Amino acid sequence: MSTITAETPLTDTHAHGEHHKPNWFFHYFWTYDHKMIGLQYLWTAFAFLFVGGALAMGVRFQLAYPGHVVPVIGRLLPATIAVDGAIIPAGYNALVTMHATVMVFLVVMPLVIGAFGNYLIPLKIGAGDMAFPLLNEVSYWLYVTSGLILMSSFFCPGGAPASGWTAYAPLSAVGAYNHTQMGQSLWCIGIFINGLSSIAGAVNYITTIVNLRCPGMTMFRLPLAVWALFITAILLLLAVPVLSAAGALLFFDLNFGTSFFKPGGEGQPLLWQHLFWFFGHPEVYIMILPAMGLVSEIIPVFSRKPIFGYKAMALALAAIGVLGFMVWGHHMFVSGMSLTMSAAFSVSTMFIAVPSAIKTFNWLGTIWRGSVQFTTAMCFALGFVSMFIIGGLSGIFMASTPVDLFIHHTYFIVAHIHYVLFGGSLFAVLGAVYFWFPKMFGRMLNERLGIFHFIMTFVFFNVTFFPMHNLGLGGMMRRIADPTIYEHLAQLQPLNILCTWGAFGLGLSMIPFFVNIFYSIFYGPKAPNNPWHATTLEWTVPSPPGHGNFAVTPTVYHGPYEYSVPGMTKDYLPQNEPAPEGIHLEAH
Amino acid sequence: MFRSFLRFTLVLATAFLLLATAAHAETHTTNLYWAPQNATVGGEKIDVILNSIFVLTTVVFILTQAFLIYYLVKYRRREGVKAQYSHGNNKLEVVWTLLPTIIFIALVIWSNRTWHELLQSPIPPDALEVQVVAYQFGWDFLYPGADGKLGASDVRLITPDNKFGQDKSDPAGKDDFTSAEFVIPVNKVVHILLRSRDVIHSFYVPQFRLYQDAIPGRTISWVRFQTIRTGNFELACSQLCGAGHYNMKAKIRVVSQEEYDKWFAGKAQAHAAAAAASATESKDQNLVQASEHK
Repeated sequence: MSTITAETPLTDTHAHGEHHKPNWFFHYFWTYDHKMIGLQYLWTAFAFLFVGGALAMGVRFQLAYPGHVVPVIGRLLPATIAVDGAIIPAGYNALVTMHATVMVFLVVMPLVIGAFGNYLIPLKIGAGDMAFPLLNEVSYWLYVTSGLILMSSFFCPGGAPASGWTAYAPLSAVGAYNHTQMGQSLWCIGIFINGLSSIAGAVNYITTIVNLRCPGMTMFRLPLAVWALFITAILLLLAVPVLSAAGALLFFDLNFGTSFFKPGGEGQPLLWQHLFWFFGHPEVYIMILPAMGLVSEIIPVFSRKPIFGYKAMALALAAIGVLGFMVWGHHMFVSGMSLTMSAAFSVSTMFIAVPSAIKTFNWLGTIWRGSVQFTTAMCFALGFVSMFIIGGLSGIFMASTPVDLFIHHTYFIVAHIHYVLFGGSLFAVLGAVYFWFPKMFGRMLNERLGIFHFIMTFVFFNVTFFPMHNLGLGGMMRRIADPTIYEHLAQLQPLNILCTWGAFGLGLSMIPFFVNIFYSIFYGPKAPNNPWHATTLEWTVPSPPGHGNFAVTPTVYHGPYEYSVPGMTKDYLPQNEPAPEGIHLEAH
Repeated sequence: MFRSFLRFTLVLATAFLLLATAAHAETHTTNLYWAPQNATVGGEKIDVILNSIFVLTTVVFILTQAFLIYYLVKYRRREGVKAQYSHGNNKLEVVWTLLPTIIFIALVIWSNRTWHELLQSPIPPDALEVQVVAYQFGWDFLYPGADGKLGASDVRLITPDNKFGQDKSDPAGKDDFTSAEFVIPVNKVVHILLRSRDVIHSFYVPQFRLYQDAIPGRTISWVRFQTIRTGNFELACSQLCGAGHYNMKAKIRVVSQEEYDKWFAGKAQAHAAAAAASATESKDQNLVQASEHK
């Protein structure tokens, strides 16, 4: 089929949607509509969020009550995870490994990139669809396939992989060491296919953003979410193939007796770490940049103020993109890599903290002298800023090489990553769901329930993850199935129990969220086209938008955040409306 | 709705502040909030940096969160008050780009000097050299005998029979003895040769402020430390290494020089006796093998 461009006459795209009304299968399961593909990603990723969350509950239960019988479901767990209802150490390793793998590859990436990327990019740049709609749908199904393969590892002989989501060789590369040869092989295949999905998506996003912008939509008039997704797509395209290749090599090591990563045949265990982190560090930014973009959309709307320092924000994203490829070695300060390399990577790591600081200051600047409305979406966006500050500051500890000698691989890094990935990315996703739900489903979410959800999430998030800083400083190693057998850790057990109860609360805090969603989809009040009085193009079309998005290809006259322009009666100026006679817009 | 949110935020902020101050105040009284008491010279230097970063980040944390909350209260939506139309301020952008950059440069210079001092400076010749070998799931230690010198060894010589990869032809290695616990004389520089027999493990002692991965196929030769107090510690593996990882530990005893000498004498004697016994036993066999080689 021909691709739909911004210039495609609207009658073509619209007629397409009206003339043959697809049956339910082609509407929900095999569709070329970027909006439905975005929603496919959204629902699938939320389903995996439950899997990843359940695995986390298992991990937390074991750490608070090591060796106790897991209540209710203990005896239903497979023998590779639990024996007589109590989690075994090897099973604990599998839980940890799969929790991280699921959350990174099947939840956060699909949410921030797959769901919101697909849904928002064409709508925000004034295009009818993605550049390659078929590739888009193929990319979704590759993602589902990778998810099913990873899930199947729970049921294969030996059970799920248990060498950590980082799969350090040679533990991961030799069946005799890990005892989960089949599970680890399935992990390699799953990660490989997941990588294909990401690469296909990235190609699509880059092509779409470069080619399908509507007339007047210059690069510096792009909403920051699109900027963020653009940089993210470039990172994906450069980083993910490295992981896919490394995964394939690991599969050969495991099954065909090669020795890329095994020392016995002159392979190098450190090679795996370099390949993994060459992907793995840009990956961190792949998961946080789109979240920063989403938050940068929400904050100006509810501050009724243009984003502070648009160009600085866009350039900071680009700077993170470039520097993101120069810092992977900070995961390896104490890995046995050359000590001089460690010192060098510590320099680049300090520098990459600067653009993140710039972004934080600009968000504060946006609120400054604004007119702040505390909607649920805004609360989550503000929660993101607040938690991202903590996650950013705790990163400084580990960037200092000598301090890393002490806290490397402790719970300090577990706290750090969760402040960035949950307090960061997932808070942004939750805020984005509250923000774009009216556009996606044509109904409003319940705000009161939303605020309740936010408060629960915010409190329990901090109860769960803040004490982990203390656990880390106390010397608690990551990925140990039973901290109580160490003298210096046994005394920290009250903190572990606190984290665990926080985690249970955090799990429960998702209930009001899903109640809200499933109730509002059917019974929520009907949403107007532009419920938040926002300026970007997706709010100029019906909620939900029809096939082909725009009835008339829009023309853009100015930047994306024209709020509270002096001299205007309404306090926002959509991108497709020129400034009224006599009104002067400030350059940004 | 807004008021409850405000109250909630204030309560939370207070809780955070209390937690942060408590963490700082109780540094030396309890270990629930802070690091375990340090036991090495290097650890003291690391703690200075750690505490400085803690102070720095706490200040930044309080300032940013306070500004955030203050702005949210001050600039909350009110009837008739319009937001200020502004796209930003380039001067401010320059300030908040340069300021963190300068702080980070200072921090990285300080950090890397200490890093060099801790791991890359020359090792004193009188340091006690010990080979530490990690395996699934435990630790072995090889001490130099009476000559004070470890015999030559190579990671490629490691086999199930030669757990330390010792070069049997080196006479300096004849008196080297093994131990299942890591006994260290206090105040002496200890230099370890770190190896692994199977997968990646890591040498981690929080009280020593020391972490280093052991990589199979390589010898890590830069780890050294000097203890400042006696006591019992646990050596833990901190790199996921398989099913038994959680329990892969060894005892570390930091003892006075006299106590160490006593332990050393006992170990060396036992080793000499065992070597003599096995020598007489396998003498004939060795002779046969030797002649076959010729």
